Amino acid sequence: MKNLKPITSVVLATLLLGLIPFVSDSEKSYLVYFLFLTFCHIVLTQGWNLVAGYTGQVSLGTHAFFALGAYTTAMIWRADLFSWENYYFDPVTMILSGLVPVIFALAIGIPLLSKLHGDYFALGTLGFGEILKVVCIKGGQFTGGPIGIMLPSSVYTTMRPHYWTALFLAFLATGVVYFMTKSRVGLALVAISEDETAASSSGIYILKYKVLAFAISAFLSGLCGSLYAYYLFQVSPEGFLILRWTLYPVLMCVIGGSGTVVGPILGSLLMTAVFTVTSIYLPGIHPIFSGIIIILVMLFMPNGIIRLWKKGV
Amino acid sequence: MSHSDTLLRVDKISISFGGLAVLTDVNLKVDEGELVGLIGPNGAGKSTLFNVISSIYKPDTGDVFLKGKKITGIAPHKLCRMGISRTYQLVKTFNKMTALENVMVGAIYGHKHGGSDAKTRAIDAMSLVGIEDKQNILVSHLTLSDRRLVEVARSLASSPLVTLLDEPMAGLNVSEIKTLLTVIKRAREERKISILWVEHKVDAIFRTCDRVAVLNYGAKIADGKPEEIAKDSKVIEAYLGESLTRN
Ligand SMILES: Nc1ncnc2c1ncn2[C@@H]1O[C@H](COP(=O)(O)OP(=O)(O)OP(=O)(O)O)[C@@H](O)[C@H]1O
Ligand SMILES: [Mg+2]
Repeated sequence: MKNLKPITSVVLATLLLGLIPFVSDSEKSYLVYFLFLTFCHIVLTQGWNLVAGYTGQVSLGTHAFFALGAYTTAMIWRADLFSWENYYFDPVTMILSGLVPVIFALAIGIPLLSKLHGDYFALGTLGFGEILKVVCIKGGQFTGGPIGIMLPSSVYTTMRPHYWTALFLAFLATGVVYFMTKSRVGLALVAISEDETAASSSGIYILKYKVLAFAISAFLSGLCGSLYAYYLFQVSPEGFLILRWTLYPVLMCVIGGSGTVVGPILGSLLMTAVFTVTSIYLPGIHPIFSGIIIILVMLFMPNGIIRLWKKGV
Repeated sequence: MSHSDTLLRVDKISISFGGLAVLTDVNLKVDEGELVGLIGPNGAGKSTLFNVISSIYKPDTGDVFLKGKKITGIAPHKLCRMGISRTYQLVKTFNKMTALENVMVGAIYGHKHGGSDAKTRAIDAMSLVGIEDKQNILVSHLTLSDRRLVEVARSLASSPLVTLLDEPMAGLNVSEIKTLLTVIKRAREERKISILWVEHKVDAIFRTCDRVAVLNYGAKIADGKPEEIAKDSKVIEAYLGESLTRN
């Protein structure tokens, strides 16, 4: 099919990008950090894309699942849960940090998504993030309060594992979205986003697929939160439970083209660059600038770069 | 008529919206292999009855039975797998998908045995309605008539026992109407499915159906052989008089 080409280029790009830490000094060059951040954004953006772009359910809770993943990693490490020598980039810890958000996604997703109207879902996920924030700030010893949980940063030696893990997760998230949407499940997701009544009277169990997409998205966000915890070494409400982790992915997905596989990658790359440049050169007006971009995009290219480009071809 | 060959039966269905009674005590049945026409003036409650049968609305009172089993309130996706498929008065196709993908949805999810042989079933359904050459066209690029046919094919691909067609001919031109009529006849002959068909093109209904039921202001005012219905004074007064002058 036509879409085989983009995915081949994604595989090639991933392999080439994997070489960058060998040619660019990962501690001194800004490139490695910039790409690390871009990859994290791709993971979150693909997760949102699956729920909103393909299934039509607007979630405003990405930051909540991102934070849940980070807190899970921090708590496992702090509690020395498995009595292991090393929790730094420990795969078991990271996978658990993806699964804990899944449990929460099921718990809030099933009741919120049973309602027919999508607004409940947007507001419900937003509310969930706010509740989580209060719980984390007031959580005392358990959550570390406003300061959060400090992790032993002495284990840090280089940025390379962060870079490669982020690259891997971005690849994973893109692959998951690609295979979900090329499969029969994808047919159900698109049907739901187009017309729920027709989808359900054609035999699709709507709730099941909405919840599935939401749970996968929570898993990806949780993994990304875990990785980011290994980068910051401090898991706090201020670092994780902030709306930027929800709004950036929304913006990146819409700018790149939601409901497509490659759009979120383009959007993440472009906007991470734009935000990086503005936060360096125009730190004071950075938030206003982001707001203006959001409005302009919604007005002039609500379908994203990928579709502009496809039309041109 | 023996009770055992009744496939679909609605029993004393009433429903109202905000105090407005839209259906009152409606009884209707469709036998196995039967083609039943449902006619009536605008706002009579025909589409509402379809929405009750397919569980999009829950009736205030009354029940729906499929092969004698009560199915009132069963979720729409389950009903489809049990053998009730439908189309919509305002066509509901998935416009971002190709025609084949639309029909595949019915074949995969609407069929009781799920995905096995789905593609064969989808292509069979498309050939039956005569759009097998349009498989890879995006539905948003199709004409209204072809989108109607895609919807009918999607409904047939789920291998239904009974299918509900809500004004499939609305908005079509003369030759498109002919095509659709052939499709309806072929569907029942080749698939042996039962059909409940709402239509304002009464001459098509009278010429094709085994039986015709008439709704007026939410109540069934007549039900019988087409010849009888065409002569029924109540029906002429409520509907046919008007529709004859309109044509
Ligand atoms: N969800 C709803 N809420 C309120 N009123 C409704 C609803 N659905 C249908 N109605 C009303 O019920 C009445 C019957 O509508 P329905 O669509 O069933 O008529 P119909 O026989 O299909 O007419 P037409 O031939 O124009 O399609 C109308 O007055 C309509 O406004
Ligand atoms: Mg109607």
